[in-house]
Amino acid sequence: MIDEARLKILVESAKFDVSCSSSGSGRRNEGGVGNGYASGCCHSFTPDGRCISLLKMLLSNDCIFACKYCMNRCDADMPRASATPDEVCSLVMDFYKRNYIEGLFLSSAVHVSPDYTMEQLYLTVKKLRTEYNFHGYIHVKGIPHADAEIVRKTALYADRMSYNIELPSERSLKLLAPQKSRESLLLPMARLQRERLEFKEEKRKGYFLPAGQTTQMIVGASPEKDGAILRLSQGLYRKNGLKRVYYSAYVPVVHDSLLPELPGGALREHRLYQADWLLRFYGFDAEELLPEDGNLSLEFDPKCAWALAHMELFPVEVNRAPLEVLLRVPGIGARSAQRILDARRFTKLTFEHLKKMRVVLKRARHFITASGKFYGANERAVRGLLAAEESKSNAVQMSLFPNETALSALTGEL
Amino acid sequence: MIYFYDGTKEAFLTALLLSYDDPLPVLTSGNCQLALGQRTVFVRADAEKAQKAERRLLSIDKDCMRDLDLLLRSGDADKDTVALGYFRMIAKRQRPVREMLGEDDVLSAENHIRRVTFEIHRMKGFLRFMECASGALYAPIVPDNDICDLLVPHFRSRLPMYFFVIHDVKRKKAAVYDGEHTFFAPLGEAEVVLSADEAAWQRLWKEYYASVNIPSRERLKQMRGYMPVRYWKFMPEKH
Repeated sequence: MIDEARLKILVESAKFDVSCSSSGSGRRNEGGVGNGYASGCCHSFTPDGRCISLLKMLLSNDCIFACKYCMNRCDADMPRASATPDEVCSLVMDFYKRNYIEGLFLSSAVHVSPDYTMEQLYLTVKKLRTEYNFHGYIHVKGIPHADAEIVRKTALYADRMSYNIELPSERSLKLLAPQKSRESLLLPMARLQRERLEFKEEKRKGYFLPAGQTTQMIVGASPEKDGAILRLSQGLYRKNGLKRVYYSAYVPVVHDSLLPELPGGALREHRLYQADWLLRFYGFDAEELLPEDGNLSLEFDPKCAWALAHMELFPVEVNRAPLEVLLRVPGIGARSAQRILDARRFTKLTFEHLKKMRVVLKRARHFITASGKFYGANERAVRGLLAAEESKSNAVQMSLFPNETALSALTGEL
Repeated sequence: MIYFYDGTKEAFLTALLLSYDDPLPVLTSGNCQLALGQRTVFVRADAEKAQKAERRLLSIDKDCMRDLDLLLRSGDADKDTVALGYFRMIAKRQRPVREMLGEDDVLSAENHIRRVTFEIHRMKGFLRFMECASGALYAPIVPDNDICDLLVPHFRSRLPMYFFVIHDVKRKKAAVYDGEHTFFAPLGEAEVVLSADEAAWQRLWKEYYASVNIPSRERLKQMRGYMPVRYWKFMPEKH
């Protein structure tokens, strides 16, 4: 059994990796312990509001790289620790059977050399699958500059792999993560994607990353605008077939003159995720949402901001609007849109119906009519009302003084 | 009129037939506040009638018995009347009504069903096994709805070689899997002798839980929203 002190070090060094999802793999239990659960499963939630799905830890936090934003960089004064493959395996098995976790998220600092590190990760997951007979979810981090063959062999045992892009531009990467290059991150991603498709095409036995690849970007440690970030994500989804891009508001864990001292902002991170959802599930293009050198509005969610800029398209009639249009109404999510489609086949929907169906009308009412009726505010007032709603619901205070439109909406001076 | 029944499927279907012409039936399997002069009927299950009703309903909507099973598991006090409203509608309209979300009866039934299935999903994550000295796994739970047997297939497929017990402490019943068969039994209090290592693994898990948190980003409200306090009772990391 691994001791508590080392576990603490290896987990605290891993916790800034955002990815926690355990979805997307239908791996079957072949005579051992565990299986994939395609919808994913959250086993607990920590006081920071994040879910625990996978056992997230490093094999070692003893790093030869010196990425400026990272707490494990080689010149940082940190307690260092490593775990053996067997220690990790037995931890996974005992946590899993108690239903604490859905599987393993294994990463590592670059220890000794990239090849050596990747090999250690490979040996650990191979052992877990073949000796410990574990068929639950495994997510493995790819190590930049590591040998392609070891990476490919790892993918045969993992459900998902991820290379972290870390920073949205080559320039920032050079500045803050001098040993990583854009190529050392993007090339292996593309190669894995190619190998995954080949594997599928040849209908070979076994699995090759059934849950695909993801990546992560740190937001706020470097000067890139949201517009550039979202265009990058869009490319990764559409060209590289990535399943998820995670955004992580920069938390200053180390001090360096090249880094901002203030955290990047949880609200900005939230807005990026909202926009990311619009790209993946709502048929939006990054170009529609904002210009390359623009930032997302902090005042309104991205769909609201888009709708306010396109008031000429609204209101739409819920009894007639096609799915693509309903999906563009602020406040109407994918689920509500589908329910509206179902329900209107049988009856002419009114606002009463929508309310009972729990369609959130707070924002939507300004953009729809139901059976010809409109319950929204006039175009001039909408902005203020929506801004007021937002600042009420945002857990993070945006500024000390609420903006003027929001305030006048609250006091009824519109 | 108020119809009392025992909460079983047979009695429910019998009551459905019996109350069919009643304009405002109330059905209940538990306690119910009686108004002055309110008339009551005690429905006894009639296997033959119930079977006939089930066949008719299935010919209209082949999935409706799954809905009924989930509805009757709900922990909400009005679940019986809600289920009655839903099935009366299937019978009256002579078609599946699942997607008629403009209808109150359908919406209420849908809500109840969703609460039950959502809790099943949640429990797959929040349930915690303890290892007993014998090597068997034991998980006490206190769900809102009567779902403990529905959790078994999930855990059986991932832990096929373990003997495990899922114990609904509130309803005093348990689902048992012995490595081969599953069975269900009433179970008041269980005497559990934990394995020698159990306490150490729980400590390690608590250490993990504490270490993976980012204290500078505390969002307690969000945590409680995703993981309501009533589920914390048997989670080692919350004690």
